[in-house]
Amino acid sequence: MDFKQRFLTSMNHEEPDRVPVMGLIAEPATSNYILGKPPADMASMVRNPETRAMVRDIINTSWTELVYGNFSDALEAAIKMGFDANWTIYTQMEAFVDPRVKDGLVCHDICGRVWKLTGTEDGNIVVNYIDGLCPTEEGWDAWDGRRKTLLDEFARNTAEHHKKLAAAYGDRIHPVGYTSMSIFESTWQCMGFVNFTRSLYQKPDFVKKVIDSQTDFYLKYLDAVMECGGEVVIGGDDLGQKTGPIMRPDIIEKLFGESYRRVSELVHKRNRKLLWHSCGNIYAFLDKFVEWGFDGVFTLEPTAGMELAKVREQVGHKLVLMGNLDVSYLLVRGNRVEVQEAVKQAIKAAAPGGGYILSPSHSHIAVDPTRLEWMIEAAHKYGKYPIHPFV
Amino acid sequence: MSDNTIEQLKNAMLALDMDAALKATNDVVKTQSKSAVKEAVDTVTQALQIVGKRFQDGDWYLAELVYGGEIAKEVMALLSPLMQAEASRSQGTVVIGTVAGDLHDLGKNIFINYARSSGFNVVDLGVDVPAAKFASAVREQKPLALGMSCLLTSTEKELGKVIEELSKQGLRDKVKVVIGGAALSERTARDVAADAFAPDAITGLDIIKKWSAS
Repeated sequence: MDFKQRFLTSMNHEEPDRVPVMGLIAEPATSNYILGKPPADMASMVRNPETRAMVRDIINTSWTELVYGNFSDALEAAIKMGFDANWTIYTQMEAFVDPRVKDGLVCHDICGRVWKLTGTEDGNIVVNYIDGLCPTEEGWDAWDGRRKTLLDEFARNTAEHHKKLAAAYGDRIHPVGYTSMSIFESTWQCMGFVNFTRSLYQKPDFVKKVIDSQTDFYLKYLDAVMECGGEVVIGGDDLGQKTGPIMRPDIIEKLFGESYRRVSELVHKRNRKLLWHSCGNIYAFLDKFVEWGFDGVFTLEPTAGMELAKVREQVGHKLVLMGNLDVSYLLVRGNRVEVQEAVKQAIKAAAPGGGYILSPSHSHIAVDPTRLEWMIEAAHKYGKYPIHPFV
Repeated sequence: MSDNTIEQLKNAMLALDMDAALKATNDVVKTQSKSAVKEAVDTVTQALQIVGKRFQDGDWYLAELVYGGEIAKEVMALLSPLMQAEASRSQGTVVIGTVAGDLHDLGKNIFINYARSSGFNVVDLGVDVPAAKFASAVREQKPLALGMSCLLTSTEKELGKVIEELSKQGLRDKVKVVIGGAALSERTARDVAADAFAPDAITGLDIIKKWSAS
């Protein structure tokens, strides 16, 4: 069985030859380390005030090539490590020099969000959400009008990015496209969470207008990702925080339920399967995920209390499960025995009957490639089907 | 003003009705009565305790917690000019900020709304705060607690730098340190030698209330 058959067999809740292992490699430093490449100059250039504007210009003129290069390296690295699959992502951003950010640049994305882009000493580029571009309805209307003029080009670039990666690497790894700019997150993040909650109570029609636009955008984005021909696509929205849902599940249903049903319908109409990404404690949403038509779920974040055995008990094989390997300690500083034990536990809890894809619960720059190597090694050793009862 | 106005304020806050809460507060303000203002402030504190409890019990969620805090902030903005005399009854000072390299402030700001409404004097250092600035604030403000917010794994190491800076300046044993944020855990608190980890703003406030009481 090859990597793709292994992955797709598990997506069908059948037992492949062994548990498939998915990489979530996206960070340049992780790829560089694995591939033995020196750290990129851009990280130090963006920290340096004298060269920052030059980086801004490079980003604004060569964004598509930069993102392709990043995921090309990520796939090469994932192949070298022995992963069966790895995610691929395309987003669109415009960079600015902004006095709010002393050690980097500010980027505006196509969902109306503001990000901080900076470089670390070990050559990583780090991008984190900081704010919304549209704190008011007037701001949103202006932004949304401008976005409409960018959509066709964005969809073309998205499709091209995923198609090129699939053509270049699809014979050695299963690239899974991820529509990372999602509906709930983009809705609140384009205005900021405080403005979002205030608008929810005081200007519900404005919130509805934003949701409708972000949903239409997302469906177009998703359709473009699916042009690459892969059988599985990753969608997602972080609906949980550390201790529970960010918002009442019944309000999420009321505001976003229809959007999520449209997402599933589109994916299934294209004969694909949908793996849904959500961080945080999401027990309260698992049954909703089934109802909305999702085929699988990850990240199943252990530090937010997500336990594979409990999730499997709650949803049975109505959802494929992926992830759950801790990235706060285990895959950052854990020792070999701890990594091995965590892999064994995950396999024991979720792999019988198929429908489990082993992977880190998320990706970030501190995830250590050596720990990833131990994770894969343990998955190969203990993940052979039939799963041994004493794993 | 009648007891009914105070009751209306409490009910409005618990129903997350901003307009009704501000109307009741304006009725209190019109009386210019210090005792009525005190009663209203106590009511805001009580209402937020109930909101916080509903959040911790899983009955309410982050959105309700944030909006409850926003209502309290606006109500307190109306009451504050009339309550200078009450300022000396602070439960203590808390210095708080988001660590260097991190610009997130949602959790920090929720904490601030709830802590101020609970009678704490909160010194907000803002976001992207370097270790030296945390240490200076501790030296100058002599707070009972220092809160550090950190959402990003990439900036987690800043927590340790701040605590080292406090130790270097002989301040570590003079202040309790609580950390919170999505990237953190109990293990992080142990690793950086913080006194406590708070998974959310309300737990953070509970921890500081305990320290204040002891």
